[in-house]
Amino acid sequence: MSSAVTRTREHPAGSPAGPTISVRDLGMTRTLPSGERMPAFEHLTFDVEHGEFVCLIGPSGSGKTSTLAVIAGLERPTHGEVLVEGRPVTGPGPDRAVLFQEPALFPWLSVRGNMDLALRLADVPPDEREERAAMWLARVEVDRSADRQPHELSAGMRQRVALARALACDPPILLGDEPFGALDALARERLQDIVQRERVERAGRTTFLFVTHNVREAVLLADRVLVMSAAPGRLLEEFRIDAHRPRKLDDVLVARVVSEIHDLLIGQLEGTSS
Amino acid sequence: MRAVTDAETPQPSTHDEPIDGEELTDEERRVLANVAGILRKIKYGTVVLVVQDGKVVQIEMAEKFRLR
Repeated sequence: MSSAVTRTREHPAGSPAGPTISVRDLGMTRTLPSGERMPAFEHLTFDVEHGEFVCLIGPSGSGKTSTLAVIAGLERPTHGEVLVEGRPVTGPGPDRAVLFQEPALFPWLSVRGNMDLALRLADVPPDEREERAAMWLARVEVDRSADRQPHELSAGMRQRVALARALACDPPILLGDEPFGALDALARERLQDIVQRERVERAGRTTFLFVTHNVREAVLLADRVLVMSAAPGRLLEEFRIDAHRPRKLDDVLVARVVSEIHDLLIGQLEGTSS
Repeated sequence: MRAVTDAETPQPSTHDEPIDGEELTDEERRVLANVAGILRKIKYGTVVLVVQDGKVVQIEMAEKFRLR
C-alpha cells in the first residue's frame, strides 16, 4: 500500500527553513475615475512553502490577479508586504517567472529565437542554450515548430512555448495569472497535464503559485487551494489536497473537493447579488 | 508522495475485535492504523481509500481549514 499523505508544511531536505513566499496583511485600494476609493482585496496573509503548488481562486473582482501582480512586483500594495525568501518584494525579479493569459512571446522572433533570448537573459552559457531550448520544446511537444513564428501557432501551442520558455530558465518561483484561461478545453487539458508532470518531475525545485477562476484546474494542480471571497477579496477557506498525481477530474477526491469549492464560490456570488 | 512512516503510524491495538469471526490480518491493521493516523490529524475533510484487486493501494485526503 502506498499513501499520498504528505505534510506540505515540512521542508524538503536542503530547502530553506522559511516559506518561499510570505504574504503579510496585504491589501490594495484602487481609486475609481469618479474619485471613489474601492478596496480590491484586504488582510491577505498566507505562506507558500518551498516546492509547493498553491492555487488562489475566487470570484471575478476578488482581487486575485492584483494579489499575484503584487507578488510578481508589478504593482505596489496599499497595505502590508510580500516577502520572497525573506526579502521584501520591491519590483519584478528573475526569481519569479510569470505566465500570463496571453503568452508574451516576441512576435518577430521564431519559437527557437524566443527560447534563446530568454536563456540569454538568464545568463545561460551559449553552448547550453541550444540544447536546453530543444529539450524544453520537446517536453511541451512544440519541437517540430521551433522555426515557426508565434502567429503561425495555435493559442495552445503559443502557451506551451511560453511555459517551456519560463521553465527552461529554471525559475525558483513560477507565477501564473489565469495562464490557461483563454484556451479551448482540449488545449487547456494538455497544458494541465504538462504542468502536473512538471510538478512531479521538478520534485520541489520550483514553487508554483497560480491564480485561476477554474475550480477544476485548481484542484487538479494544487497542493493547496486558497479560496477568496467576493470583493473586497479576503481568504475564506484553505483546502489541502494530498492525492496521487497525475490527477483526473473523475478521481473521487478531486470531484469531492471541486464540489465543495464550487458550492463555496456559488455562496459568495449569491451573497453579493442579494 | 511518500509512505507514512512508522513514527507517524499509530500502533495497532492488541484488542482488535474479530470481523465475521476472523482476526484482522497484518495488512488490514496497517491500513486501519494509517487511516486512524489521518483521522487524528484532520478536523474537516475527506479521506479516500483506493482499492485494487481487494487491496488498498492508495490513501488520499483533503483537509479543509476555515480562514475567516
